Amino acid sequence: MADRRDAGGTSTDRLAFLLALVPYLIDQVSVSVDEAADHFGTTPERIRRAVELIAVSGVPDASGSVLPGSGMFDIDWDQFEEQSIIRFRQAPLTEQPRLSGREAAALIAGLQTIMALPDYAERDDLWALREKLARGSASGVAPVAVAPGDSSETLQEVRRAQSAGRRLALDYVSGDGDREERLVDPIRLDSIDGVWYLRAWCLTRGAERTFRVDRIASVRSAGTADEHPASTADPASLFSGAAVGTVRVEFELHEAALPLVADYLPDDVRPVDGGPGLVRATVELSNVAKVGRLAARLVGAGHIVTPEAATEARHWAERAIAAQNRRLDS
Amino acid sequence: MTADASGRRVSAEERQFSLVLALIATETGLTKTQILSTVEGYSARFVPGGDNASLERQFERDKDDLRELGIPLETFDQPGADGDTKLQRYRVSRAEYPLPDDITFSSEELALLGLAGQVWREGSLSDDSRRALTKLRGLGVAVGATVIGVAPTLRAHDRAHAPLTLAISRGRQVEFDYLKPGDARPEHRRVSPQALVQHEGRWHLQGFDEGKGGERTFLLQRIVGGVRLRTDVAREPASDAAERALADLRTLWTQQRATVSVTPGSEADVVLRNRAGTEVDGDVLVVHTTDFQLLADELAGFGDEVQVVSPRALVDAVLDRWMHVAGSHG
Repeated sequence: MADRRDAGGTSTDRLAFLLALVPYLIDQVSVSVDEAADHFGTTPERIRRAVELIAVSGVPDASGSVLPGSGMFDIDWDQFEEQSIIRFRQAPLTEQPRLSGREAAALIAGLQTIMALPDYAERDDLWALREKLARGSASGVAPVAVAPGDSSETLQEVRRAQSAGRRLALDYVSGDGDREERLVDPIRLDSIDGVWYLRAWCLTRGAERTFRVDRIASVRSAGTADEHPASTADPASLFSGAAVGTVRVEFELHEAALPLVADYLPDDVRPVDGGPGLVRATVELSNVAKVGRLAARLVGAGHIVTPEAATEARHWAERAIAAQNRRLDS
Repeated sequence: MTADASGRRVSAEERQFSLVLALIATETGLTKTQILSTVEGYSARFVPGGDNASLERQFERDKDDLRELGIPLETFDQPGADGDTKLQRYRVSRAEYPLPDDITFSSEELALLGLAGQVWREGSLSDDSRRALTKLRGLGVAVGATVIGVAPTLRAHDRAHAPLTLAISRGRQVEFDYLKPGDARPEHRRVSPQALVQHEGRWHLQGFDEGKGGERTFLLQRIVGGVRLRTDVAREPASDAAERALADLRTLWTQQRATVSVTPGSEADVVLRNRAGTEVDGDVLVVHTTDFQLLADELAGFGDEVQVVSPRALVDAVLDRWMHVAGSHG
């Protein structure tokens, strides 16, 4: 694909924009540049450039010149240039394009994900919307779909508290395995591929924190929450499991396997001499006791290098094996 | 960018826009030569009777881009000259191009679709939903405001995702190397892609394996190296291929269960209880999975907080991971 990105997206995005803009302008009969920009959520400058492009376009005849008459766009240049009003007197294209099969599939999958939220559980009109998208697509909906996860009881309780402005007491297990009660004022709920995160003001820590909803053992209401400004944290950063690190652990693995540990946010990645495709990288853990999980992730792809951490990983695995064997013997 | 005869630069979207106008306007279709010699963006570089190979390649790419956008581009042979590509004619179906008249959206529906579009964070489906929303805005309905404080997001970040969606929309076979768990090296596969579905946060390809002669499901994260599009035409997917693929995964998930014992109050206890579908049976938990190897990865990470009771293959898979950790950190 010859897509080049700039302010207007890829060249395919810009074509889609032109094909949507033309019927809109015809339908409005007369519209100001600012109003059109507002409607499409873009800049007046981009509308102006698009209109200039459209106005000189048309259907060529056999000699290659643009046919005068029905094949041409005919704009009122005076109104456009003097008052920034767009009015086409004639246009060879007046209809909205269909959605592509993938465009419809992308919106339907997004819609299904929204519909799985507790907020929309009662909304059956969304199915009608889905049906319209399917009918509005060019060659049927592309076979791309998402099974939205069920929203757990905990998620629903947290969501209700967030909507109602209530403070919550969470019985929470941190990524380090520490379990304690945390008093929080919910700010925002985000999910990434079905895993839910609560962004909240944590009164226990006196700071904004992210909580994985599936690590909440139980939740109860604890009065009224204070007002907090909207969080500016990027949801993309939420899934990083990296806690405030105190222990640096170095490991070695095949470069191709780095994505396996991406959520540990490895840094200082460098090639290993004499080991083709091998790299070393470092991650921060809050506690050396947490190294076992990292080592388990590396199975088949690499191992821990830092000596104390490697020893701890071995002990961690030996304890797990012993417990499993006791279970098998019993 | 390319320049026309007067030296004016013609952008990709201007050329493609002119192409769409020309192909919609024609009743009888245009031959490639007619298109290249008359449409803005091609015509200035067209050499009558000469070598127009690069222009022809550009036309091929533009055709692909138009189809990506769901523009119904038709190709048909000149009567009496079947298969002669020089005489082949192209046009955009005027009946198929426009969104059906009876498809309208309320301001509230568009607001919901706006949320649905934001679900995609990155990748080709995020591009698709952005284009779909641009097209829907062309309908001229003001978009209602929505601030809900809940933002579910989906990612399509497996490297295989983009080439597979492309192969599906172009109806082409693919080939890739696939690493089954437990195998030392990947196996080469040639597949007619049928559907791409996300289940439990992971993307699966449902396809007809041309080498093995049967339907198979592939986990995208186990595709190693790149996905190559073949020139061979793929078997056409059934219209409900995605729904069927999800239903099959759901059935598998319901049937495949594992019994585990967890340390009460531990992280494993909390996380596994919160997992969708987990049943509590006395002092053990029954969890569901579509893939025992993935479950083994997840369980092994909990170390001695979890012991597997059944099935035996899962016990071995988890023990194998721990023994590997112990063995590689001596």
